[in-house]
Amino acid sequence: MRLPNFEYCEPATLEEVLSLLEENKGDTRVLAGGTDLIPLMKYGLDVPSTIVSLKNVTALKGILQQDKEVFIGAMTSLAELWSSAIIKDNFPALHQAVEAVAAPPIWNVATLGGNICQNSRCLYYNQSKAWRLEKPPCLKAGGNICHAVPKGKQCFSVYSGDLAPALIALRSSVAVKKKNQSRTTPLQEIFSGHGLAPFTLAKDELVTGVILPLPGRGVGSRYVKMRVRSAVDYPLLSAAASLTLGGRRRIEKAVLVLGAVGPTPIVVETDQLFVGSTIDLVNHDALSKILRQGTQMVDNLALPGSYRRRMLPVVAQKAIQGALKSIAKRENR
Amino acid sequence: MKKLPKQLISLKVNGYEYEVAVRPNRTLLEVLREDLRLTGTKEGCDDGACGTCTVLLEGVPIRSCLCLAVEAKGKEVTTIEGLAEGDQLHPIQQAFVDHGAIQCGYCTPGMIMTTVGLLLKNPQPSEKEILIGLEDNLCRCGAHNRIVKAVQTAATEMKGGKLS
Repeated sequence: MRLPNFEYCEPATLEEVLSLLEENKGDTRVLAGGTDLIPLMKYGLDVPSTIVSLKNVTALKGILQQDKEVFIGAMTSLAELWSSAIIKDNFPALHQAVEAVAAPPIWNVATLGGNICQNSRCLYYNQSKAWRLEKPPCLKAGGNICHAVPKGKQCFSVYSGDLAPALIALRSSVAVKKKNQSRTTPLQEIFSGHGLAPFTLAKDELVTGVILPLPGRGVGSRYVKMRVRSAVDYPLLSAAASLTLGGRRRIEKAVLVLGAVGPTPIVVETDQLFVGSTIDLVNHDALSKILRQGTQMVDNLALPGSYRRRMLPVVAQKAIQGALKSIAKRENR
Repeated sequence: MKKLPKQLISLKVNGYEYEVAVRPNRTLLEVLREDLRLTGTKEGCDDGACGTCTVLLEGVPIRSCLCLAVEAKGKEVTTIEGLAEGDQLHPIQQAFVDHGAIQCGYCTPGMIMTTVGLLLKNPQPSEKEILIGLEDNLCRCGAHNRIVKAVQTAATEMKGGKLS
């Protein structure tokens, strides 16, 4: 598959990148590792007129621990994230999420920012032009029909990134810049909840990094990914849990985030269920009920939505139990 | 559609410096195979998922089908053609031959290049580490067991896992 033609720019600084984004609003894509953008371009799903390479912008790279926070630049590669002791020791869910992404050769070029900002996916969308010509274009491809859900009026494409659910569970904020403007916002705020345009980011905005608060004592986390094969694949379903245990092993804080359950990661409302109780008292049926809220799992991934819905409590429980174990592991160090 | 101008870039491949005129929309895989006639690196899925296009960029394995040639300019690229020295096969290549780990041969260049990257980072991998290291190199013929044995033999042969 040949890539379409485009104008290629290789700015040396972040300021130049932001200026280019402002000038070419809408028809420009930034290029980080390219593992999401290039396949989309080969399939004819994304055809920007201009590509802005981020390869020379060193300001976007690096993992920096300062006071009680860790700042990770958006162009930090997944390989660098995986090798980082700061990440492995303090944020096990993030380390596990990185490990769950594709495979090591992909980590060598894939980036934090690129993984977070990847486009949502669907069995009927992520196909070559020739494959898609067999049917009329779907909603996400600019048409007016959904092939996954007959008579469906909304796009059910799935946000399939591994890092975002773990980062949200770890209470991350994201730094976003555009020309002459910077803002920081909780990571879940950049997700729109709509498959057609999964992000609330403006066309001239760039994610420049992620900020994670360092965990105190008694905090643990875990990321669990369910997929067809034991490696490589995008998730069918995933869950990230972060737990804080207080005195007498009672849960003080809990964050549970589900991935691949619809166009956005879903933060599960767990306060009523968890906070103040000990882990053994978590009611499995009550957990199953609240897990479904906000999820939209249909038959648009490798396995049916009905199977993935049944597996929700199993995967969530694995993440919760794993987070607990990681608290003990951290304290024994 | 208006065709945009080519860029003259320098690519260091297997120790040689090549100057090629390429448009930005050419992938490294295309330029290696079509412009430099180094056809050892294969196109499989063209999507990053099968691993047969794997080359080393600055010593680490990457998918050349997802890398724009202009993104690799000025950097060291190592392909399967860069392993042997004259008639002397690289220990990994020799081990693949000796163990019969090559059936149709299509996954082989990618398997070997990923193995080079693996042994550079982990010179004595366990069987499990080999399986994980090669997890994204797909083989449709089913030569997996012999591939793992070949990697184990190669690891033993190569002291320190360095490119010879």
